[in-house]
Amino acid sequence: MEFRTETADGQLVVTLSDMLTFDDHESFRGVVTAIVDSDAETAVLDLSGLTMIDSAGIGMLLLANDRSAKQGKTLRLRGVQGHVAKVVELSRLEQLIPID
Amino acid sequence: MLQSPHNPVRTIEDDDITSARILVVDDLESSRRLIGAVLEQAGFRHLDFAEDGPTALERMAHKPDMVVLDIVMPGLDGFQVCQRIRAELSREIPILMQTGMQEDDYRVRAFDAGASDIVSKPIDAGELVSRVRLHLERRRMMSSLQVYRRRMEEDLRVAQAMQQSLLKPAGEIEAIVKPRRAGLSTFYRASNTLGGDLWQVFPVDETRFGLFMVDLSGHGVSAAINAFRVHMLAAGMSDLADQPGAWMEALNRALVDMLPVEQFATGFYGLVDVPGGVMQYAAAASPSPLHYRADGSWTALDASGLLLGCDARAVYPVRQCPLDAGDRVFVYSDALYENFRNPTAALDTPQLADVVGTALTAGADFQSALLQRLFGSADAHVDDDLTWLLLEAGA
Repeated sequence: MEFRTETADGQLVVTLSDMLTFDDHESFRGVVTAIVDSDAETAVLDLSGLTMIDSAGIGMLLLANDRSAKQGKTLRLRGVQGHVAKVVELSRLEQLIPID
Repeated sequence: MLQSPHNPVRTIEDDDITSARILVVDDLESSRRLIGAVLEQAGFRHLDFAEDGPTALERMAHKPDMVVLDIVMPGLDGFQVCQRIRAELSREIPILMQTGMQEDDYRVRAFDAGASDIVSKPIDAGELVSRVRLHLERRRMMSSLQVYRRRMEEDLRVAQAMQQSLLKPAGEIEAIVKPRRAGLSTFYRASNTLGGDLWQVFPVDETRFGLFMVDLSGHGVSAAINAFRVHMLAAGMSDLADQPGAWMEALNRALVDMLPVEQFATGFYGLVDVPGGVMQYAAAASPSPLHYRADGSWTALDASGLLLGCDARAVYPVRQCPLDAGDRVFVYSDALYENFRNPTAALDTPQLADVVGTALTAGADFQSALLQRLFGSADAHVDDDLTWLLLEAGA
């Protein structure tokens, strides 16, 4: 997994690409840190560049959501497509993390 | 005993190192004596000597911990001895080769022959002792890692057997399902010895039985421990066995308390009623079970639902799957169709339904036919825990 961050209109946008799987625990820590350190009240994870996600990857999204909520921030997902969309739909993830 | 001025206090580790057996191979008696004296002064007590290649290979039978080997010897030279030790006796034993400074290409040839390290001739006492100690310490670390690893593997094997014992054997399954006019075959293979998948089947009343499959996120020890906990939880939920939705909700609430925020589970619970012609079920994000009609047509059951262990208020609706004589329902974990090594090879539901449908025509050989088709061989290693249940409605 690779990610880049940008702040626009008071929102932190973190764009993820490649796969989000068990092997990405280390690199995803950077995503959580970026959200926690940001001044923006809302963080958006853009998943449009993500080709696959496994259960560990879903767990990372839940972790980012939890950390955001504990700081009074809102996490949203966008760009959900392909394999990621199937997993999200099956797991009803939108009930836990709002999806644009 | 020689004490290093920098480290005058001897430790237990020092004792371990100096009790190592070292074989010194050199055709010159004066060299053997010199090396022997240097090593003895450094505290090494178990020295053995060979004056030529064939004797060196013979002395290897005494299992030295290290070899100090001269290159230029009549008959078998040091390169040949080194090659033969590596090829026939030990790939791990440290071999320290002595090379003269004037013989530059000897250094490369020594490493090519399998030497662990080289030491310059004429022998410098400090250098020789340092290199001998370095390699013995490295060797000892390697062997303690190997011992540790073997012990871990043994522990995991025991745990795997315990986990396997949670799963009912075929005879017990048949005793439950056959009087209730059904057949059930099962399959479980963990990805790395221990897994987070769990299934169970149990009677509900005279005509119905329940079955569930739960997949804890993650692999390995933590997932397996959680699978054990789910097994315990489920054993205490038998009063809800005739209510799939309430059963799933109770499991979910327990998992919310039990699992950390980034962990969850997916699950399927089916209440099978063959005489009543229906399976009621509740699902939490489990892969869509496939329902095959006796005529070969299939539908994918809706098994979407909120992940277990994330929100205590989650509601799991009860859904229905008609079950006529000859119908089959295939419930499986996501390892069956996902392929993270080669994402484009992942199967979508129609592709999977086709593969499973074809394997079903193999009858009793269903398991090997399916594994063969999906993984290339019946005993293939799987990247994730792989579980399935195949339910068949009798007449």
